[in-house]
Amino acid sequence: MERPTPGPETRPPPRSVMIPEKIARFLEQRANVAFAGTRSRDLLPLGHRVSGWRMGADGRTLTAFLPEPFSAGLVESLQDNGELALTVEDFPAHETYQFKGRYVRHRPVQGEDIAIVDRIRERFMKSMRAVFPMAPERTLGAFILRPALSVEFEVSAIYVQTPGPGAGARIMPPAEA
Amino acid sequence: MTRLPDEIRPVLDNGIPAVMVTCSSDGIPNVTVISQVYYVDDTHAALSFQFFSKTIRNVRENPRAYVRVWDMIGHTSWVLQLEFQHSETEGPVFDAMDMQIEAIASTTGMSGIFKLRAADIYRVVSVERVPYAEWTAS
Repeated sequence: MERPTPGPETRPPPRSVMIPEKIARFLEQRANVAFAGTRSRDLLPLGHRVSGWRMGADGRTLTAFLPEPFSAGLVESLQDNGELALTVEDFPAHETYQFKGRYVRHRPVQGEDIAIVDRIRERFMKSMRAVFPMAPERTLGAFILRPALSVEFEVSAIYVQTPGPGAGARIMPPAEA
Repeated sequence: MTRLPDEIRPVLDNGIPAVMVTCSSDGIPNVTVISQVYYVDDTHAALSFQFFSKTIRNVRENPRAYVRVWDMIGHTSWVLQLEFQHSETEGPVFDAMDMQIEAIASTTGMSGIFKLRAADIYRVVSVERVPYAEWTAS
């Protein structure tokens, strides 16, 4: 008898991984821009601008802070299938990592979240000024939007996305695992 | 049939990296930063295939792609839903993109790293202009 193929929603959740110290420092000290991806039930990819992020105390979760105009379809997709990808970059150095994982919870942002985003926004503007010295302050500042929604997810894999021959390599879990 | 509006053309040429989201056939989304979205005609765009192999694999399994480009001056972004059609490794689109990639690489310190391997041609499924508000103090 033919057995039905399990769909993506029936797949056992992957195990979470610990974010390495080097990547944690990147997230907290250098990264200045991010973008998230989800997908609908019928595998339509969706993108969401991210204003900031914070690593969980256990080193296994990340929380992304998203502005309102970019969260359309996000919660629905996450509650449907839980799949989330988050790419975080240090622009213009181009050091970039992608975090993939499973949705844990969401909530409206709080004051502490906005303070984190404000620090990231300052970092972004400082980096952009080096590349676009003539750009008006308000143009650069407007790129990082005021967040409205906080989404926490458990990280199950981390990939290098820095342009070059190593792009796409998996850092966590290590290849031999 | 969805057509790219004329007003998006300068945004595609502004040199600001775009973002692309794809999804594998087993449902895992993938986000990548892309240096170029090339206007082919009013119903097609080409994306540069350099080294994002997961994206390349994904669109061959599931041809749908999400791309967002930024107009920082106009405080606007554009969302494109695309469908992968085919890949070109020679011809006028490839040559034009190759030249643009070289220019982008030289202005961003990535010469020798950015290298066009193929121009992937996508049909435009939908296009939406999404303005964003400036962050004002609460």
